[in-house]
Amino acid sequence: MIDIEPLRFAWTRGGPDTLLLGRLQVDRGQTVFLHGPSGCGKSTLLGLLAGVLSPRQGRVSLLGQDWAALKAGQRDAFRADHVGVMFQQFNLLPYLSVLDNVTLPCRFSKLRRERCQAAGGPEAAAQSWLQRMGLPEALWSRRADTLSVGQQQRVAAARALMGQPELILADEPTSALDAALRQGFMDLLLQAARDAGSTLVCVSHDEQQAVRFDVQWSLPALQQAGVSA
Amino acid sequence: MNSLWSMARSSAWNRRSTLVWVVVSLALATALLWTLERLRHDIRHSFSQSVSGVDLIVGARSSPVQLMLFSVFHIGSVPQSMSMDSVHKLAQHRSVSWVVPLSLGDSHRGFPVLGTTPAYFQHFAYGDKQPLVVQQGAVFADTLDGLYEAVIGAEVARQMGYGLGQSITLGHGMQDHDHDHKGEQADEHADKPFKVVGILAPTGTPVDRTVHVSLQALEALHLGWVAGTPMPGGHIPADQARKFNLQPEEVTAALVGLKSRAAVFNVQRFVNFYEEEALMGVMPGVALGELWSVLGLGENALLAVSALVALVSVVSLVAVVLAGLNERRRELAVLRAVGAAPRHVLGLLTLEGVWVTCAGVVLGVLLAHAGMALATPWLQQSLGIRLQLAAPLPTQLALAGAVLLAGLLASLGPAWRAYRLSLADGLSPRV
Repeated sequence: MIDIEPLRFAWTRGGPDTLLLGRLQVDRGQTVFLHGPSGCGKSTLLGLLAGVLSPRQGRVSLLGQDWAALKAGQRDAFRADHVGVMFQQFNLLPYLSVLDNVTLPCRFSKLRRERCQAAGGPEAAAQSWLQRMGLPEALWSRRADTLSVGQQQRVAAARALMGQPELILADEPTSALDAALRQGFMDLLLQAARDAGSTLVCVSHDEQQAVRFDVQWSLPALQQAGVSA
Repeated sequence: MNSLWSMARSSAWNRRSTLVWVVVSLALATALLWTLERLRHDIRHSFSQSVSGVDLIVGARSSPVQLMLFSVFHIGSVPQSMSMDSVHKLAQHRSVSWVVPLSLGDSHRGFPVLGTTPAYFQHFAYGDKQPLVVQQGAVFADTLDGLYEAVIGAEVARQMGYGLGQSITLGHGMQDHDHDHKGEQADEHADKPFKVVGILAPTGTPVDRTVHVSLQALEALHLGWVAGTPMPGGHIPADQARKFNLQPEEVTAALVGLKSRAAVFNVQRFVNFYEEEALMGVMPGVALGELWSVLGLGENALLAVSALVALVSVVSLVAVVLAGLNERRRELAVLRAVGAAPRHVLGLLTLEGVWVTCAGVVLGVLLAHAGMALATPWLQQSLGIRLQLAAPLPTQLALAGAVLLAGLLASLGPAWRAYRLSLADGLSPRV
């Protein structure tokens, strides 16, 4: 599913390596907990997985497809089809309704639109995911920016799940939430990702959550392995 | 594309308070260009429609444009008059069909008074050789009985509410076109009132704003006047004036019709080399051409200023969109995260530019038409120019198209920057 061959990544040409990784593999449907101190390159790794960044050396493949083998336009299309993304904040277009925000991926990916047909179309699929993320129905037609941060994160999660992409990348999805809400949100996200059959890679500082994931990656440890490899 | 369109729309709507000013500034620029072009066209049209069937305008030697402006449009003045003898000589020229003398200088409540002969109504034409039509009453008689009779243009009748039989008095000199001071006219000629005997059909030319009387009537008015002022003790009552010789010795200008247009240069030469006084013959078309070349400078300056205004609004479009771009980085990154390619971002911003520019141009045209509809009565009244709220001129469309094109090109700049930004930002905005 995810296949990383020993890679080096640097932000600037000729600059020091930010990331130095050995071989890493993730199977389909697995959940990965990625942790490490701030600035150690977690978001960079997510960028590599999403095909937004390219390694200087080595290879990152998704579903057997090497990102580097695709042209920019193809990468965009491949990502739209197979990767759902959420960030710690500001995931939504403020001027669209909650429901319209959730159906956004279907506007850009035919594949994900088609996969929603099983649920009765993008609209119905969006409603079903919103329900599963526990967002009250009364909020669905509201403008996205009228929701609380916690509610917005649920909407973002529902959107990432639309059309069951093979990979969901979540960059600190709970760090903007109150501690009390984190547990519940993570429960919902993990369950939903398993239901969708999606692989979830989740970056988090909250190491209490780590045990509930199939795989735990400590980035500093991975880097160490990369150096010694 | 359809979904991109609806997204561009909601996004723009979300920023409407800023965008509305861009639309307004584009609209004002468009309205300015649109109105100016219409005005330019209609002024030319209305000038060129004002005289027809006249082969030469003859007057004392001055500037051709000046002579034409004064004799046909009653604008300005001419420094000297021509003698009636010359008019008679001219009439005897074998190529000349008719000569109509004109005498200007007095006014009635801001409307110019034209002293002429009944032949004027026969020969003077406007537009495409359309003759003057007396709508009510008749032309003044060329006799002593008809001495104090006047024929008024359609606008004079309409504005002043005059009907046949109305008694009017004339003032000396050309007065300001100031109708707010109707009671304050200097009634130097109040002792000799005129009766309205004829009202002309509307022509859309300066004729509409003119009061026509006979040459003899003007003589009668000025009996006992010397050098433009009444002589003390020289007052002559209206009835007694008839006993004097009322044949004028001088007139302002003369309109000349030829038997054959081919003779026009011949007659012009006759006039220009006339020995007894310094005269000049002006072909109305040539004088108009000269007028255009003078007006052209002013018109071009106006057009250049309007083009600058349009440029400024286009630049403001770029400035507003660029300034908003940093705030929109997050929005664009969200779009990228849900699968939009940078080309979608490019399309989104271009679409917005198209939309804003189109709205501005359409609004501008509507604004221009509303403005012209409001200004038409005033223009008609004070300048005798009739604005046509007809189909747009090709040049107007070209100008609006130019604004549209400039707006589109201008919106490509910010769109390209957004494209670069969203490429650089990747999925998470580094704000």
